[in-house]
This record gives sequence, structure tokens and C-alpha cells, in this order.
Amino acid sequence: MTCGSDGGLERMLLERVTVLGNERVTEGVGLVVLEAPRVARGVRPGQFVHLRIAEGRDFILRRPFSVHRASGERLEILYQVLGVGTRALSLAERGEEMDLIGPLGHGWEMPDTLSHALLVCGGLGSAPMGMLAIELAEKGVAVTVAQGASTAGRLVARELFADVARRHEIATDDGSAGERGFVTALVEPLVAQDRPDIVYVCGPEPMERIVAAQAATAGVPCQVSLERLMGCGIGACLSCVVSTVHGQKRACVDGPVFNAEEVLWASAEIPPKY
Amino acid sequence: MNHTVDMRVRLGSLELRNPVVTASGTFASGREYAGFVELERLGAIVTKGVSLHPWAGNASPRIAETASGMLNSIGLQNPGVEAFCASDLVWLATRDVPVIVNISGHSVAEYVAVAERLEAEAVVSALEVNISCPNVDEGGMAFGTSRSAAAEVTRAVRSATRKPLIVKLTPNVTDITEIARAVEAEGADGVSLINTLLGMAIDTDTFHPKLARAVGGLSGPAVKPVAVRMVWQVASAVSIPVIGMGGIATAEDAVEFMLAGATAVAVGTANFVDPTATMRITEGLEAFCLKRGIGRVAELTGAVRL
Ligand SMILES: Cc1cc2nc3c(=O)[nH]c(=O)nc-3n(C[C@H](O)[C@H](O)[C@H](O)COP(=O)(O)OP(=O)(O)OC[C@H]3O[C@@H](n4cnc5c(N)ncnc54)[C@H](O)[C@@H]3O)c2cc1C
Ligand SMILES: Cc1cc2nc3c(=O)[nH]c(=O)nc-3n(C[C@H](O)[C@H](O)[C@H](O)COP(=O)(O)O)c2cc1C
Ligand code: FES
Repeated sequence: MTCGSDGGLERMLLERVTVLGNERVTEGVGLVVLEAPRVARGVRPGQFVHLRIAEGRDFILRRPFSVHRASGERLEILYQVLGVGTRALSLAERGEEMDLIGPLGHGWEMPDTLSHALLVCGGLGSAPMGMLAIELAEKGVAVTVAQGASTAGRLVARELFADVARRHEIATDDGSAGERGFVTALVEPLVAQDRPDIVYVCGPEPMERIVAAQAATAGVPCQVSLERLMGCGIGACLSCVVSTVHGQKRACVDGPVFNAEEVLWASAEIPPKY
Repeated sequence: MNHTVDMRVRLGSLELRNPVVTASGTFASGREYAGFVELERLGAIVTKGVSLHPWAGNASPRIAETASGMLNSIGLQNPGVEAFCASDLVWLATRDVPVIVNISGHSVAEYVAVAERLEAEAVVSALEVNISCPNVDEGGMAFGTSRSAAAEVTRAVRSATRKPLIVKLTPNVTDITEIARAVEAEGADGVSLINTLLGMAIDTDTFHPKLARAVGGLSGPAVKPVAVRMVWQVASAVSIPVIGMGGIATAEDAVEFMLAGATAVAVGTANFVDPTATMRITEGLEAFCLKRGIGRVAELTGAVRL
């Protein structure tokens, strides 16, 4: 498989960025648009930025966020308000400055030979898939999206997927849109019908694990984006290790996207938050 | 009025071009930071802890943020001294910066074996013996909390190396000056402090500790007053140089440690917040001296007015 984005070690930068807009998308979810000319230009689908949300407040660490979309000098980040950092982010106003390190990590691999891709996302797992869906579609790859959420209002990025995907299937826990139930129930029939040559998955780790198993059973390569608590974000502190068949890897530089068959799932560690 | 500042400081026989070094475990061997920092402008790179055999480290989660700081329980994950020499030291040899290797062991014999393996490596300017890691079961902090064990490790490593020997002390003791005096008596050329303070945080949603290992080491601005106090106590108790650290995030923080008695200062957690922190602090320290008409940065050491 050829590599769609290299580790980015040489290209990562520290950039001062300006908030261009910050709006509520749905209950507890926001979309912040940042002017980040240098990072926006270099970022590849699946990579992330390590954002310093506010200086001089009592939390000190940066927060990692996937890049949802990038165009020109703008970066879009979809975020769920969980704790002190994302709450501060939700209050950021147009014109406010912050800084970020990016582009970071190893993003989604997009082999040139792809003709059909299945994107499976649960909850805010749609965040790192916006750019991916757009770029795949631009390359002429047929994109199928299987999207799950608790309820219709939480199908974040639904319009983007509806726009670029050839097929967009939905599952909600309460049945308010699409099938009632988990997104994982959509995967088997889609794999059988659409015969994708790759499955991309992002969501709560238990869901990723199920989809990885489904892809493996069908003999389709699968890529997963994993979350770990991160200190440095650049490979130095070993906060973010993922157990793999090749030993311990760092999610921030060797990931966050991994080939699913390399991941030793017993290492699942972050309590599912989205 | 001075227009330049002599930024050099001495740690025993080792001269540093300025007092700002990296804190072990927060900077790896520098490679990851090379895009943000001119490594040649660091006083020294202090590497991540290295042991005789590869160590896997602890289960995840390994970090938890706390008010103005963080807990970590990385557990000294490292590939072992052989792999470290073959990769990190080879790379460091291409950079013009003093290298201080932080060493760990489960037993005195392991510390000695690591020191012996490094003895022939010309790129290694000094050793920092970590007898203060709160995150490993055997060895680690156990050596740093007893005067006799600290003395024993220091004596054994001293006889295995001719390189300058720095012993890194834990704050998790009743009287840190006792340990400092004990390692000085066994031939340490310097002491560095503080390593992290043993701490704990619990998730009130799940009732689980935030770290898989339950406890871990607290670092960052939250620990700074404790660290400054300990540096002051130790600097008053020994005559070897002290490398001060614990929550340094600004040039003023560095000045504070030097006034308390530190000869050099190490920047740790601040690297995660601002990968250029070491450069910012070095420049700020020089600017501070210029502004105050201080010709040699070393004049700050111990200059606290009581
Ligand atoms: C590679 C990567 C990409 C991510 N992309 C997105 C995204 O696009 N949108 C989004 O909403 N979230 C994303 N996350 C999760 C996001 O980083 C956390 O939700 C956020 O850090 C929570 O911060 P807080 O201060 O609000 O929460 P708190 O719980 O107060 O945070 C406390 C500490 O835990 C860390 N933390 C808490 N939850 C997580 C988590 N799930 N993952 C990693 N660190 C966590 C925080 O960074 C902080 O250090 C991503 C995480 C990673 C590792
Ligand atoms: C993630 C992390 C890893 C660390 N690893 C080591 C280590 O391998 N050896 C060591 O002696 N100290 C280690 N330390 C301790 C630091 O070197 C330093 O003593 C401590 O963090 C206090 O400084 P700070 O507040 O500037 O971080 C580590 C600290 C952190 C935060
Ligand atoms: S977050 Fe520091 S190594 Fe990955």
C-alpha cells in the first residue's frame, strides 16, 4: 500500500492562528474555523493539530484535534465539548489568536489503486473523515459512507457526506434517521454489496474494533484512527502508545491512523466519549 | 553597562554554553524537537532515561492533566542501552551539543552496567543517575528515598565512570538534604532536582484513577514552589552544583531557581506546552541579565537576598 501522507516530522510547524469563525453545530458540538496558512496548506486527510487553546488559564496542555477540512489558508475543526479545554474552545471568538502545532501524525493511506472506499464513522468520528471523503471523491474513488449517531441531530457533517458520497447510509440509536441501531449493523451488507477495496473507520474504540473484525472477515484492508491522551504530540513523551504487532507505537507520529490488523485491541484505553 | 552576558556555567568539569538544559523524558533525545529548537543553542540535552534492557513502560492512560500541571506514569519505556547507543547516540554525535544521558536500573548492578556501556561513548558528556522515578516498581525511587541506597548506587556508578556524574533526586522524601549530602560524599559531581512529586487523580464519573497505574509523578508549574524550596535547601547543604527544575516555563522561573542556588536549570513539561520553550527561556535569561547589568549569568546562582 502506498502512503498517502508521510509522518510529517519534517514538515510540522508551530503556527500562530486566528479564529475566523466558531459556531455551534448541534448540542455540545462546535465547528471552529482557523486561519492557519502554513499548516492548512500542508495537512493531509487524517492528520491532526495540537492546539493551545488559551494561554494563562489553569490548564496547560495542548489538545489534539483532527482536521475536518482544509481549504486555502483555512482549517476547520469539529469539536465536542467535553471538559475544560473544549469548553474554552467553544467560547473562542472571531479574531482571537491561539497557536497550534501541525500538521501532525500519519494520516489515512490512499493507495492510487483505490476504486471504492467505505468510510464508517460513529459520533464525532466523522471529524477526520471530511477531508478524506472530499479528496477520495476528487480522485474519482466511489465513496460509501456509513454514519452512526445517537440521534438525527447528532449526525455531524451529514451534509458534507451527502454531497460527496455516492452512497450515504445512516443508523441512529433512536431511529430518528436511517436504520435504528448501531452503525456496525450497516457494515456487513455494505461490504457485501459495494465490495470496497478499503474500509476507513473512526469512532469509539469498541466500534472501531467491531468494524475492523468485519473488514478482516471480508478480507478487506481496514484503517482505523485511534485516540490517546497526548502530551507533546510530536513523538517525544511516550504518553500515547498503542500496542501493535510491531511493538509499542506512538499514536501521535506513527498514528493516529493505523492498519487495523496491526492493532492489539486489548490496549483500548480511553473511555468512549464520542 | 554590559552589552553582552557571559552565559557559560560549569557543572564540575563540564562547561555548558548556557544554563538551560532539557529535563529528562520530556525531550526524548532531541530529534523530535529539532524542527522547533536550535539544539546547538541548548546548554545540554538530557536524554530520556535508559536502562540495561528494554523496558515496556506502564499501561495506558499514562498521563492526566491536573491544575497547572500533569501527572505521568510513563514508566521509563525505553529500548535499552544498546539500541540507544546505536540510534540516539549516533544521531546526537552529529549535533554540536553536550549530551547528558539519564540512566536507570532495577538494581545497582544494572545502573553500573549501563554506565559501563556508555563509558566508551565519546558523545556522552555526563551521566545523570535517576534514583527518583516514581513510576517503576523495582528500583527507581526506592534508591532515592533511602540515604544508604542512594549512597550505594552513587558509589557503584562512580567507580564505573570517569564522566561527570549527576544524581537526580526525588522530592518524595522527608529531608532531601540528607540524600544530597550522601551522594556528594560518594563522589557525585552534581545533583539535579526535583523529579516528579508522587500524586494521584480520580475520575469522578467512573470512580477509576485517571492513570492506569493509579499513581504517577506531578510536574509542571504546580510543583514550582516546592522545587524552588528544595533547590534552595540542597544548594545550602552541599558544595557541588545543583541543576534545578520543576515547573520552569518562563525566563523569570529560571532566574528564580538560579537565585535559590541552581547553577543550571532544566525545562520539562513546558516543552509540551511550547516546543520552543527552551529557546524562549534562554533568550529571556540573557535579556534579564542585560537589563539588570549582570555580566555573568553565574552571578545569579545563590544570589537570593534573605
Ligand atoms: C489524534 C486525535 C484527534 C482528535 N480529534 C478530535 C476531533 O476532531 N474532535 C474532537 O472533538 N475531539 C478530538 N479528539 C479528542 C480531543 O482531543 C479531546 O476531546 C479533548 O482533548 C478533550 O479536552 P477537554 O479539555 O475538553 O477534556 P478534559 O477531559 O478536561 O481533558 C483532560 C485531558 O485529557 C485529554 N483528553 C480527554 N479526552 C480525550 C480524548 N478523547 N482523546 C485525547 N485526549 C483526551 C485532554 O487533552 C486533556 O489533556 C482527538 C484526539 C486525538 C488523540
Ligand atoms: C512525561 C515525563 C517523562 C519523564 N521521564 C523522566 C525520565 O525518564 N527520567 C527522569 O529522570 N525524569 C523524568 N521526568 C521528570 C522530569 O525530568 C522533571 O524532573 C520533572 O518533570 C519536573 O520538571 P518540569 O516540571 O519542568 O517537567 C519525566 C517527566 C515527564 C513529565
Ligand atoms: S504525545 Fe508525546 S509521544 Fe505521542
